[in-house]
Amino acid sequence: MPKSQPDAYQEFIKGLWRENPVFAQVLGMCPMLAVTNSAVNGLAMGAATFFVLVASSLLVATLKQWIPRQVRISSYIIIIATFVTVTDYTLQALVPAIHKELGAFIPLIVANCLILGRQEAFASRQPVGLALVDALGMATGFLFALLALGSVREILGEGALFGVDLFGPNFEPWVIMVLPPGGFLTLGLLLLFFSWLAERRQKLAERLAEMEVEGS
Amino acid sequence: MKHRDPKLLVQPGPLLKQPLTTSMAMRDVLIALAPATLAGIWMFGLGALLVLLASIAGAMLTEWTFLPEDKRRDQLANGSALVTGLLLGLTLPPALPLWMAFLGGTVSIGLGKIIWGGLGYNLFNPALVGRAFLLAAFPVAMTTWSAQTGSTDFFQVAASNLAAPLMHLDYDGVTSATPLGLMKFQQQSTALWDLVIGKTSGCIGETSGLLLILGGLYLAFRRDLDWRIPVSILITVAAFASLLFLIDPDRYPGPLFSVFSGGLLIGAFYMASDPVTSPLTPKGAWIFGIGIGLLVMLIRVFGGFPEGVMYAILLMNAATPLIDRYTQPRVFGKGLKSPQGGHQ
Amino acid sequence: MNELVWIFISALLVNNFVLAYFLGLCPFLGVSGRLETALRLGLATLFVMLITALCSWLLNTYVLIYAPYLRLISFIVVIASTVQFIEMVIKRVSPGLFRALGIFLPLITTNCAILGLAIFATNKGYGLVEGMTYALGAGLGFTLALVLMAGLREETQIAPVPRLLRGTALNLIIAGILSMAFMGFAGLFSAA
Repeated sequence: MPKSQPDAYQEFIKGLWRENPVFAQVLGMCPMLAVTNSAVNGLAMGAATFFVLVASSLLVATLKQWIPRQVRISSYIIIIATFVTVTDYTLQALVPAIHKELGAFIPLIVANCLILGRQEAFASRQPVGLALVDALGMATGFLFALLALGSVREILGEGALFGVDLFGPNFEPWVIMVLPPGGFLTLGLLLLFFSWLAERRQKLAERLAEMEVEGS
Repeated sequence: MKHRDPKLLVQPGPLLKQPLTTSMAMRDVLIALAPATLAGIWMFGLGALLVLLASIAGAMLTEWTFLPEDKRRDQLANGSALVTGLLLGLTLPPALPLWMAFLGGTVSIGLGKIIWGGLGYNLFNPALVGRAFLLAAFPVAMTTWSAQTGSTDFFQVAASNLAAPLMHLDYDGVTSATPLGLMKFQQQSTALWDLVIGKTSGCIGETSGLLLILGGLYLAFRRDLDWRIPVSILITVAAFASLLFLIDPDRYPGPLFSVFSGGLLIGAFYMASDPVTSPLTPKGAWIFGIGIGLLVMLIRVFGGFPEGVMYAILLMNAATPLIDRYTQPRVFGKGLKSPQGGHQ
Repeated sequence: MNELVWIFISALLVNNFVLAYFLGLCPFLGVSGRLETALRLGLATLFVMLITALCSWLLNTYVLIYAPYLRLISFIVVIASTVQFIEMVIKRVSPGLFRALGIFLPLITTNCAILGLAIFATNKGYGLVEGMTYALGAGLGFTLALVLMAGLREETQIAPVPRLLRGTALNLIIAGILSMAFMGFAGLFSAA
């Protein structure tokens, strides 16, 4: 199907699956691996990133005709850094416990290549509405990925999900899952799983197409 | 094309010896390990045998699952998965839950071998990848050492061995620290003779120093391993330990204790010397061995763990591509073993 | 003195920026395909880290005590512009060095390892000397991880790795194994 009018629904849905920032594009890994040792932390990091990405995209799309081309990247970074500072202080005030867990990794959202990438590739070229939808889709996809990673690591690493005990008192936690190597291994295996799923879907689609050809 | 598969190793001429095949090399390793394995089972009882079997089963089942159907028979018959499972099992504590041993075997083959493209391409020792995973995942179970049962209650299996999958049961017998643990945390030495004959607690196959050396000599005699690697590891550890011993004999153990305690002998002879994951050139082998020796002592003396052989070997495995690159005379492209690079 | 050794070893091995803190993963996974490139990128990062430590110490000591909420923005802006300035100086003074490191400098500036260094050093309350030692350890640790990874990856390129695993999945798993091996350094010199 040739690409026709950019469709808001398409722009949203692509971030969830086909162009999922983590599983398909492997972006923004620095913060996501460090803090996803539990589902709650993953969710909090996802939410913080969600806010920063959506707010920055909105502002960049609105201001784009006033930002000179030569300094656009620096301008984006300053916009992003402002929103990250806001998020940092807000989290500190509202949920100090989680803020302490995430620690220095909240400011590091600035360096998340996903956010800057969306400004440069999308928000600075598209109307405000589409930029918003794109940011929402990407941010949701990122949130979903963080949550998935955090859940897997918490289930195996603590025998719990969102702090709720799953397996009873005799469960032997896999401590490695909440340690750095567990982060690398889990994401690696999740990526493997998703590319396996994608391949299966593609094979299925090919077979369906073949059957259609044979049918006609 | 890089020739790392043992069956493609270029042997020095004149080629009177038969070409080395994977299955022959694996058979030699099994023969070499047999005495230490039997001694381990004898000393730690039926539970130890079950741990070994679980680890071997995990390794072989994983190999079988991930191999293409037409290769299954050949690959399983060459015994490499069996050796990996056995080596892993020998480095596990005797009272480990069986499901953990099984999981370790699975990880050894899965992350240690399959993902790299199979035997001959893996860059880390598979058994140690499995062990490092288990130690990081289950630090308590992996460092609970049962005392030797002796021949009287050979058939008594620890309750912790039989824990249901994903669960744990507390070890019910007498625990005792390993010689290295005693040394590190209580400054208490162990009689040297006990270390040599293996009358200490520890991993199933690492205690009997004498039998491990015998097996190692057999392997060296059969030319299955590059003697430079174990020799350089042991010399480095002994030298480092002697130096520390001379500085402060009250605080540091002597060289013989350092060589015979922990997993050093099994690591030096059977894991570090794995031809697939060690450097190709003689010079590289020396660097590799000395590096392992230094890291072992660094971790044992200054680190947080009482034993560092596993980490030392894995770290030097990681450095092997770099060592190869900087020690290899580049003749026809990179990677080919040079004619004078064999056993001299 | 002991304190400094510990800061250095900790940043180099125990709390390696890449393998324990997941910082600088983008270049770690992106540029570690070739050994030469990895080494240069590592050294360039070390260089930028040293500048960062200096800049962040100056900012923390003389500016940010009056306006702590500006920390993030000022770190980014000051570090980026200092690096750009030094890049120009190097280009003028030593074209050889510029060719070796130059192309990486702009890439590195927005890397989370740099910002992470500034933030961690600030949170730990390091002074100038401690901060520079920390930067030296972190930069060399980053280089070490990058170079080891590059060596391993060059080998996998000729191996019959399962097709689905090729690329990021395999690299992440290799990084995981490397990270497990680095766990051996846990507690190093902490008792001494």
